[in-house]
Amino acid sequence: MISYIFKRILYMIPTLVLTSILVFTLIELPPGDYFESYVNELQAAGETVDPKLIEYLRAEYGFDKPIWERYIQWASGMLVGDFGYSFEYELPVSDVIGDRLFFTIIVTFFTIIFTWLIAFPIGIYSATHQYSWGDYGLTFLGLLGLATPNFLLALIMMFLANEWFGTTIGGLVAPEFVGEPFSWAKFVSVLEHLWIPVIVIGTSGTAAMIRRVRANLLDELRKPYVTTARAKGVPEFKGLMKYPFRMSLNFFIADIGGILPTVISGAEIVAIVLSLETTGPILIQALQSQDMYLAGSFLMLLGFLTVIGVLISDIALAILDPRICLQGGVSR
Amino acid sequence: MGVSSKLLEVKDLRVSFDIQKGTIDAVKGVSFSVAPGEVVAIVGKSGSGKSVIAQSILRILPRNANIDGGEILFNDPATDANAINLAGLDAKDQYLYEVRGGRISMVFQEPMTALSPLHTIGNQVEEALILHHTKTAKEARDDTEKILRLVGFPNPARGYEMYPFELSGGLRQRAVIAMALICNPAMVIADEPTTALDVTVQAQILGLMKELQKKFNTAILMITHDLGVVANMADKVVVVYHGEVMEAGNMEDIFRRPQHPYLKALMAAIPHFDMKEGERLVSLRDSDNDKSTATIHKLAAKFKADDLGEITGPHLKVENLRKEFSTNKGSWFGAGEENKIIAVDNVSFEINKGECLGLVGESGSGKTTVSKLIMKALATTSGSVSLNTSNGMTNVLELSGQELMAFRRKVQMIFQDPFSSLNPRMTVQNILSEPYVIHGLNTAKKCQQDILDLIKLVGLNPNCLNRYPHSFSGGQRQRIGIARALALHPELMICDEPVSALDVSVQAQILNLLNDLRKELGLTSLFISHNLAVVNYVADRIAVMCQGKLVEIASREQIFANPHHPYTKSLLSAVPYPDLDRLLDFENIKYTSSMEADDWGSAFKASQQAGLESIRVDEGHFVLANSNSELSEIRA
Repeated sequence: MISYIFKRILYMIPTLVLTSILVFTLIELPPGDYFESYVNELQAAGETVDPKLIEYLRAEYGFDKPIWERYIQWASGMLVGDFGYSFEYELPVSDVIGDRLFFTIIVTFFTIIFTWLIAFPIGIYSATHQYSWGDYGLTFLGLLGLATPNFLLALIMMFLANEWFGTTIGGLVAPEFVGEPFSWAKFVSVLEHLWIPVIVIGTSGTAAMIRRVRANLLDELRKPYVTTARAKGVPEFKGLMKYPFRMSLNFFIADIGGILPTVISGAEIVAIVLSLETTGPILIQALQSQDMYLAGSFLMLLGFLTVIGVLISDIALAILDPRICLQGGVSR
Repeated sequence: MGVSSKLLEVKDLRVSFDIQKGTIDAVKGVSFSVAPGEVVAIVGKSGSGKSVIAQSILRILPRNANIDGGEILFNDPATDANAINLAGLDAKDQYLYEVRGGRISMVFQEPMTALSPLHTIGNQVEEALILHHTKTAKEARDDTEKILRLVGFPNPARGYEMYPFELSGGLRQRAVIAMALICNPAMVIADEPTTALDVTVQAQILGLMKELQKKFNTAILMITHDLGVVANMADKVVVVYHGEVMEAGNMEDIFRRPQHPYLKALMAAIPHFDMKEGERLVSLRDSDNDKSTATIHKLAAKFKADDLGEITGPHLKVENLRKEFSTNKGSWFGAGEENKIIAVDNVSFEINKGECLGLVGESGSGKTTVSKLIMKALATTSGSVSLNTSNGMTNVLELSGQELMAFRRKVQMIFQDPFSSLNPRMTVQNILSEPYVIHGLNTAKKCQQDILDLIKLVGLNPNCLNRYPHSFSGGQRQRIGIARALALHPELMICDEPVSALDVSVQAQILNLLNDLRKELGLTSLFISHNLAVVNYVADRIAVMCQGKLVEIASREQIFANPHHPYTKSLLSAVPYPDLDRLLDFENIKYTSSMEADDWGSAFKASQQAGLESIRVDEGHFVLANSNSELSEIRA
């Protein structure tokens, strides 16, 4: 087991190196750089720019050096926590992301919990009552949630929340707390605003999740070991949880690898509509304005979280399913 | 009070299944009874409703099944209460949960899927104990290890911690039996408990069940299609056909004086070892039997293989064939340590023209791998396969291009599973014309007459050409598979367990068909099977494989009358005969698996001085033995 985890962690290194090369190539691909689009923007606004200043800035940030040298500088910087400098915000990248990352993680965390709390009971009910009215009804509701555009739902919810509860529109905290240090009152305010994005983002994921829980559980319910458990006199619900449900969890744990990256990139559109202080909008903006270090660091963070997520699900799977660790490595 | 001679009494039980268009009556008024400590066998072919009866008793029927009528009276000897009608209880009645696993438990057919792959053996075995008796974890574990020892786990403490996939099929089934017995139930329902096991393991498991049944005085309700198993296990027999009891009675009556025509036909359809030369199996529907023989005779000339002329020597010669599979132990950077599994180890044999060689062995013995190597479907590690052609012996393994294509015509295969070996998206017409098209012999249109003759040859009606495989029964599909194999006029036919997926009655028809075809067409064939009785019925000579090695090869008569190798002997002694005068000798069946060669005599084991060698003990009779051993040692 230990050696399995160790091996999996070592495998991460080449993966991350490849990812960084890919990300760097990608952000270098569009013609021009940030300064070029900056100059264009200023000229479009009718202002004049001193070309010498631009030249100086280019040299300052190493834009005159060959591409591989800049890659090494960027990649080695990341190793010590220096993600580069955001031209747009005129701040180090870590400062730009830092604040927002916290809110993003809160929103996503509650969204995932919300999805699970809704999807698992409904999925289990649907599978055990296959083709019943309850199954059809709940599936219909779930699909409705999937089909409704998120931004529309966001607007409606925002309106309703303001009408009924007087919650301020947009953002994750009431305006008076923006920039304030953390306090109990601010925390309550965050909770008041949190439920709208959680429901809006959650509904879309829930329907897909219900279908997957249902399908996986149905497959398992037909297996002979379920009959074995019944023949032993195991009470229905206990048997359901201990055998088929646990088997059907495999897919879901394998899914964790996919969930982590959405922690920082998920639901950008909703975030913009609700003007949430999360990372999604920043990523979109950074990509638009060729703010390359900000965008690159973002993409790198996504890659890193994917790799970590896959690692976590692999380890969890190995713990949950003894066949994975003990049987691996057989080839023909 | 409730003292009765009957532990379980089923009266006029009726069960139906809801399907899309109405209902199907699966059990139509079945009655029988089981006395305490008695072994009752319910016999019937698949689809006869025998498993449904078993599931009704525990009320674990699928959700679309309904008990429409009748009573299932369970008279628990542990209580003084009157018999309780299990069929009349509410599905959520607490008493049902007490009975399941506590008073009546179940042993299932497929030990791999009947156990959860995610839980340890110990966890699953002790579950019933914890549910039905309040025990501490320590007590439960002690009891579990005790019962695991009883069912033959060599190391119960370790077995408790193991997962099902780490165990062999035999040990898994022992764990399932331990699970059924741990609460000391009044009755065990065994649903085809040995069908998925090899014949030697089957004999061990049957012996174990018999022993434990006597020890605990547990009643057993045994569900099976195998009359051989019944003869060795049961006190009473109930024969079920289409959900109705055809005949019921004690062993003597059933086996010596069968009354019902269905039972008589069933008995005649089973191949057995005392069959005379040329004796035919009687299939359940005998009417079309003679007709089919006549048809085959009439059409035979057309499908005969191209005449080889007078050939000298064997038709197929396999020499020192070896196949290794390697498993990587998945080390870092590169290959790491490599584990080699030798699937086929130095196998040599010959088949003469027109002869049928039977290849027998347990699962994993490498017999199917041998057939794939001959077909050139797998790459051979070393050795040679030669086929006698007009140019003398040709090494098949060196063929390529046009020559390989020509070879493919000469060798055809009939597969085990008639359900997955036919493409469900092709009509029978397409399936049968495909060989002609692939080999560019004929266009699909021009070969129409050939296809019509082919389908008649295998005893099917020409109007089935436009149908898809799913609309045929297992036996009919196997006939289509045979027709496809014959389309190219092959010289050599490899049959890989062609009847093991079929019911006994259908098996008889297919075996008769294969035998007729072989004789009329002059086919040379290699017949692979784990069933010795089937091989005995079709083969001229028999080769026995064990762990990739060919341990004995001799004529049919020699193998059965005078086996030399200990593995052949154990294989022969483990076959259950449907004959009350030839019961299995459970006392002498070894508890270790026969795959382990430890208890073989020294003459059959390789030593430091000498390896193993095929030694001639008689005319055409060879045994794999230590090359230093004396003939007298081998014959002993």
